[in-house]
Amino acid sequence: MKKLKLTIEGMHCASCASNIERSVKKIRGVKEVSVSLMLKKGTVEAEDSVSEDEIKKAVSKVGYKVSKIE
Amino acid sequence: MNHKHHKEKIEDAEITSWKKKLFGSWILTIPIAIIMLSERIFNFPLIEMPYSIITILVIGFPVIFIFGWDTIKGGMRGLFTFYFNMDSLISLGTVVAYLTGIFYFTGFVQDYSGVAAMIMAFFTTGKYVEAKARGRASQEIKKLLELGAKKARILRANKEIEIPIEEVKIGDILIIKPGEKIPTDGIVVKGESSVDESMVTGESLPVEKLKGSNVIGATINQDGILYIKATKVGKDTFLAHIIELVENAQSSKVPIQRLADKITSVFVPIILILAITTFIGWFFFSGDLSKAIGVGVAVLVIACPCALGLATPTALMVGSGMGAKRGILIRKGEAIQTMKEVKIIIFDKTGTITKGKPEVTDIKSLIPEKELLTLSASLEKLSEHPIAKSIVNKANIKNYKKVTGFKVLRGRGVEGKIGKDAIIIGNQTLMNERKINLSKIIDSIEKFEEEGKTTMVVAKNNKILGVMAVADSIKEDSKEAIRRLNKNKYRTVMITGDNERTAKAIAKQVGIKEVIANVLPEDKAKMVEKLQKNCMVAFIGDGINDAPALKQSNVGIAIGTGTDIAIEAGDIVLARGSLIGVVQAINLSKATFRKIKQNLFWAFAYNVIAIPLAVGGVLHPVVAEIAMALSSITVVTNANLLRRKKL
Repeated sequence: MKKLKLTIEGMHCASCASNIERSVKKIRGVKEVSVSLMLKKGTVEAEDSVSEDEIKKAVSKVGYKVSKIE
Repeated sequence: MNHKHHKEKIEDAEITSWKKKLFGSWILTIPIAIIMLSERIFNFPLIEMPYSIITILVIGFPVIFIFGWDTIKGGMRGLFTFYFNMDSLISLGTVVAYLTGIFYFTGFVQDYSGVAAMIMAFFTTGKYVEAKARGRASQEIKKLLELGAKKARILRANKEIEIPIEEVKIGDILIIKPGEKIPTDGIVVKGESSVDESMVTGESLPVEKLKGSNVIGATINQDGILYIKATKVGKDTFLAHIIELVENAQSSKVPIQRLADKITSVFVPIILILAITTFIGWFFFSGDLSKAIGVGVAVLVIACPCALGLATPTALMVGSGMGAKRGILIRKGEAIQTMKEVKIIIFDKTGTITKGKPEVTDIKSLIPEKELLTLSASLEKLSEHPIAKSIVNKANIKNYKKVTGFKVLRGRGVEGKIGKDAIIIGNQTLMNERKINLSKIIDSIEKFEEEGKTTMVVAKNNKILGVMAVADSIKEDSKEAIRRLNKNKYRTVMITGDNERTAKAIAKQVGIKEVIANVLPEDKAKMVEKLQKNCMVAFIGDGINDAPALKQSNVGIAIGTGTDIAIEAGDIVLARGSLIGVVQAINLSKATFRKIKQNLFWAFAYNVIAIPLAVGGVLHPVVAEIAMALSSITVVTNANLLRRKKL
C-alpha cells in the first residue's frame, strides 16, 4: 500500500472533485481517493502496483491536470 | 517549499484568468444587452431586425467561444465522456441558446443568442467572485504556508553567511539576530532571548529561551542574539507537521457532508434529464418551441451543485484556519460533528491540568534525609517516570549506589537491590501489597495528600524509611478553563493514577467535581469506555501516555508539550499546553459545525426552490443564471463569516 498526494489543476466546481474521485477509483488497486477542491489537492491510497502514470491519465481523462505527485 | 509557491500560483492564476474572462465577456455583453433592451423593452430598436440578431451573433460569438472556451470545452468533454460537471450544464445551456439565433433565420424559433452571452458573462462573474471568496476562506492556511523562513544565517569557518533554508542540515549552527525569524527547529547553544511563538502555538506571551531551550522554526526572535543548533529540517519540523495536519483535515470528510456529496455526484446527470424532460413537456403541452427552449435553458443554468459541494469544505477551511492561528489543529473533520454531542469531558491530571513537572517539596524521613535521598535517587535514576526524575533532581548527587534487579512496577513504584538490601519506593497500594507497616509516617502521608501532593514511600527490607511528597503545580489557566466548561454544563472529570486524597485536593483547586483516582495508565481507556455508555465523551491528555484513552474517546484532544506534537493521537491537537485551548477548540468545533449546517440548509433550500421555479417556466434564463451564481457565492461568503465568532 502507498499513499500519494496529488496537486491538481483546473478544478473549479464541486462536481469536478467528485468526477476525479470517480475516475481514479476505477483504477484497479486504488482503495481510497479524496479530492479537495479547496486545496486543489487529492490523496490516493493504492496498492503498490498502481503507477503514477495511471493516476495522471485517470485525472486527465476527465479534463484536469496533475501538476505534482508526491 | 517549492510546491507551496506552486500552489499559490495555481490559485492566483485561477482568479486572474476568471478576471480576464469577466472583463472580456462584459465588454461585449453590455452592447448586446443595450441592443436587446432597446428592442424588447423600450421598443426603440437601435438596430433593425434581423440585423440586430446578426450583430448579437457576431459580438456574442467570442463571449461564448473565446472567453467561455474553457467552460465549453470542459463541459462538452463531460457530456461525451459521461463525466458530467457543472460546465456541462452551462455549455449546453449557452450553446443551445446561441444556436437559436442562427435557427431564427430558418423560422420557428425566437432568438435567445443575446441571452447566451449574458448567461456566460454572469457565469464568469460568479466564478470570479467565488474563486476570490474561496481564496479568502483559505487565507489563514496560506499564511501558515508562507510562514516558514526562506533564509538562514549560518556559521561556517567562523564566518556568518546566509544560505537558502533548503540547504540547512541537522547539526548546523544558525545565528538569529533580534527581530529575525528562527529558520528551523533547534536547540539554543548560546545566547538568551525571548521568542514570539504566537504564530505557531497561539501562545500570546513571549517565551524565554536560554542555553538548552528548544526553539521552533518560523517563530520570531525578539531581543537577544541566539545561536541554535538545527535539530529538525524540512518536512520534520514543527511547522511542517502543523501544515500537514491542517491539510489532512481539509481532505477528511465530515459525515454530514455525505448526503450532499452523494447528491453532487449524481446532480448533473439528473439535471440534464430534467432539462430535456422539461423541454419536451413544455413543447408538448404548449406547442411553443421557443418557450420550451427558454425554460429548458433556464433549468440547465439554474442548477448548481457547487453550493452543495462547497458547503462543508469552505466552512471547514475557515474553521481549521481560525484554529491553526490559535494553535488548535483539527485533525479530523468528524470531530467537529461529534463535538456537539459531547457531554462529559475527562481530563488527565499530570501534564494536562498540571504542568507535568513534579518537584519534591517535602520529606519525612526516619533516617538521615541525605541517606534516604541517596538510596531513592540510585533506584529512581533507572526510571523514566517524571516523579522519578523529580527525586533524582532533589537528591542532586554524583555517586549513585549500584542497583541490581531493578524493576518498574507500573502505576505503583519501583524496586531493586542495593547490596543485600531490598529497596522499594512507591505508593500506598504497593506498600499495602507488601504488607509494610505505615503507622510511623501515616500522619505525614495524609497531610501531604490533603495538600494535593503525591507521596512516595521508601522501604528497606520491608521496613519503612520515610516518605517524600511530590507536587506538580497547576497550569495558570486550568482553573479558568474548567470554570468555563462547568458553566457550559459539561460534566468535568479528572482521571489520575494518584490516590483519592491527592486527586481530590487537586480537583478541588481547579473546580472539578468528579475524580477517578488510582487508575493505572493502561486502564484509562477502560474508564473512558465506562463513561461512554450513556453519552459522548471527550478526553484531554498529553497524547503520549494517553494515546489509548484519546483513541477510545469520541473526541480526543491531545495537548502538545513544547516542541513536539503527537500527530497520531487525538482528533484535535493543541500546539500550546494551556487548557483555554480546550475551551476554544470546543467553541470552534461547534461554531464550524453550525456554519456547515447553515450552508447545507441554504444549498438544499436554494435547489429545492429554484429548480421547480425554473421547470415551471417562471424564471427567465438570465435571472436563473444570476440566482445560480449567487447561490454558491452565498455559501462561501457565509463560511467566511465564521471569522466573526469570538472563541
